[in-house]
Amino acid sequence: MSASRTWHDRHLGPLFVLPATLMLVAVLIFPAAMTLKLSLTPEGGSGWSLTLIHYIRAFRDPVLAQTFRNTFEFVALSLVGHLILGLALALALKQALVGQAFFRLIVLVPWTIPDVIAGIIFRWILNPIHGSLNPLLRAIFPGFPAEFSWLSSPTLAFPSLIFANIWRGYPLVMVMLLAGLMAIPRELYEAAAVDGAGRLKSFIHVTLPGLRTIILIVLALDMIWEFRRFALVLTMTGGGPGTLTEVLSILVYKSYFEFFTFEYASAIAILMSVVLFILSLPYIILVGRER
Amino acid sequence: MKRKTKQWFKLAIVTIAVTTLVLVAFPAGAQVKIRFQTWHWGEMPVFKELEEFQKTFNQTNPGIEVVRDDSRYADKESLFITQSQAKAAADIAHFTYRPIRHLADRGYLMDLTPFIEKEGGAKFLAQWDQSALDVCRYKGKIYCLPDDLNPIALMYNTVHFKEAGLDPSKPPATWDQFLDYVKKLTKGDRWGVGIIGARQEGIFMRFNPWLWGTGGDYLTADGKRSALDTPESLEGFKFYVELLTKHKVVPPGVIEQGAQEVRTQLAHSKVSMIISLPSEPGIVQAINPNINVREVMAVAPLPVGKKKVTSTYFSMRVISAFTKNPDATWKVYRTWYNKETQMRNFKIAGSLSSRLDFKDSPEVKGDKFAQVFALQTPYVKLEPLLAEWPKIGDAMITAIQESLAGIKTPQQALKDAHLATNRVLGVQ
Repeated sequence: MSASRTWHDRHLGPLFVLPATLMLVAVLIFPAAMTLKLSLTPEGGSGWSLTLIHYIRAFRDPVLAQTFRNTFEFVALSLVGHLILGLALALALKQALVGQAFFRLIVLVPWTIPDVIAGIIFRWILNPIHGSLNPLLRAIFPGFPAEFSWLSSPTLAFPSLIFANIWRGYPLVMVMLLAGLMAIPRELYEAAAVDGAGRLKSFIHVTLPGLRTIILIVLALDMIWEFRRFALVLTMTGGGPGTLTEVLSILVYKSYFEFFTFEYASAIAILMSVVLFILSLPYIILVGRER
Repeated sequence: MKRKTKQWFKLAIVTIAVTTLVLVAFPAGAQVKIRFQTWHWGEMPVFKELEEFQKTFNQTNPGIEVVRDDSRYADKESLFITQSQAKAAADIAHFTYRPIRHLADRGYLMDLTPFIEKEGGAKFLAQWDQSALDVCRYKGKIYCLPDDLNPIALMYNTVHFKEAGLDPSKPPATWDQFLDYVKKLTKGDRWGVGIIGARQEGIFMRFNPWLWGTGGDYLTADGKRSALDTPESLEGFKFYVELLTKHKVVPPGVIEQGAQEVRTQLAHSKVSMIISLPSEPGIVQAINPNINVREVMAVAPLPVGKKKVTSTYFSMRVISAFTKNPDATWKVYRTWYNKETQMRNFKIAGSLSSRLDFKDSPEVKGDKFAQVFALQTPYVKLEPLLAEWPKIGDAMITAIQESLAGIKTPQQALKDAHLATNRVLGVQ
């Protein structure tokens, strides 16, 4: 009797975790391994004949270099926008307002909308003929052109995309920062007030230090998500005009499904993963330290 | 408590095992289901021809069931590729001619030669336009039969013509006339013509006649180098992009506009002309039921530059190499391609078949729109059938968008496309 109880104690836990582990292997580890293998396979080849030709080509590809630059710009600006907007709203929602619960719910709405839908919505809003933004701007600024092209403009297509991405992604950052704000002890603010600190000094010397870890975590996670942003870019601009808004995810998609260069596309995807891993190291180290 | 857990655990294992055994030993029904994949399931009025085919076939072929399988025009290749990687692609899929060879190279398509031999070989194949059939032949095998071959023409709003003081029975015959007409038709919030600038396959059908119409081309005659650096190519390229950048006869935001946006513009009288497929009168009617397309619209050959040429929407169905029911799939496939089905498709949605017994039929000759489209067939030209075409096409779309957006001059944009094309072809 005590022997079978011991067997249960030893094996029941891992057995319950086994289905989730198998699923993780099936949807994460196996595809990643297959992608790595494909990236080392000659074009149109099969079996275990391996080559680094696609990586050599990637390092020499000016289109890939430009796309990396576009992606870094996209990610950096989105991160800044998410942080500023998320923090501002988190600070606002921490106040005891009338209808606080309602506002906390409303600000989450953009995050619930799938990327594809958000992209289509913004395409409609920014449409030069039928969109709602141009008439609104003309009502405020009568001299504003009637059919202004946002997504066809070489100077405004990228900012329009960033704006849509900031709108789409700020709620998660806001929620995490709000949780961080609530964890800062009230006594610290009271002590600061006693020492004569105003709102700005309290923010700089109490709030920001208190949020430092959360901000780092938020930035790391957001960076990973924004690096992989695909559907929003595809539906809004398709990477255009020209290649001005083409990010890595779009290039991987084109290389794989439009150019039929499965192997090269896999190499780009692996390079993306390596870059992301390097950029995520501070987060990984931080999480490791906390354990 | 722990004994109960052990009992529940054993019960769960037994239930899973029994269920699996039942499902494997007794598969659901003896009906063979054939997945018929196309983006047209979501597009009126073409959906009706599919619905009718499905109903008719299923009624007359007990034991085989044609099942709707949706794709989207934008992701028809990515969907099929992904499904093929899992060896779970639709039995019959629908593509334009461009990716056929790539899909064949990857082993995703079934060689139809054995089935065709059983049907009579060359005699069976003689039912179709042979140049159209050549697109389906690759490395000694036949991977498809040509489906609809829809030459491009000009569709225009006769009411707008009259309002602009133009005679609807005299559509523009030359490029100079075309430019004159679109300028006269552009006024207020209506523009002379709608064109495509979005990064999609449909751009080539609408752009290529302008490139080719001056004598320009993508490649040299031997197919080994880019021909985009010729004055003729530049002239055609400039004509297309300057419709927006110089003459302003096209609605703004062209880079965002694909085929559906342009049809919608025509349907709602935002533009007076579009470069049209035979199925587009029906689509325009479906977009705006209040417009009587048969009365208001007319179709004319594309205006001629230095040579009379047009492009085409040309599609074919393929059978997946991973179909589990090849014989039943071939039966569905062959039925789709027979004269009765193809004629019914034309009557419902205006699709022009590649069958030789189709274009001279009284139904086509008696149709106001179809007769004009069908007469363009001898002038149809296709893009190069090269493995490198997707990258060449991508470079051209980039050049078109960069010119339309003013990022580069037409000369610089086309030059970059020329260099990119030569790089793709391995030319130094």
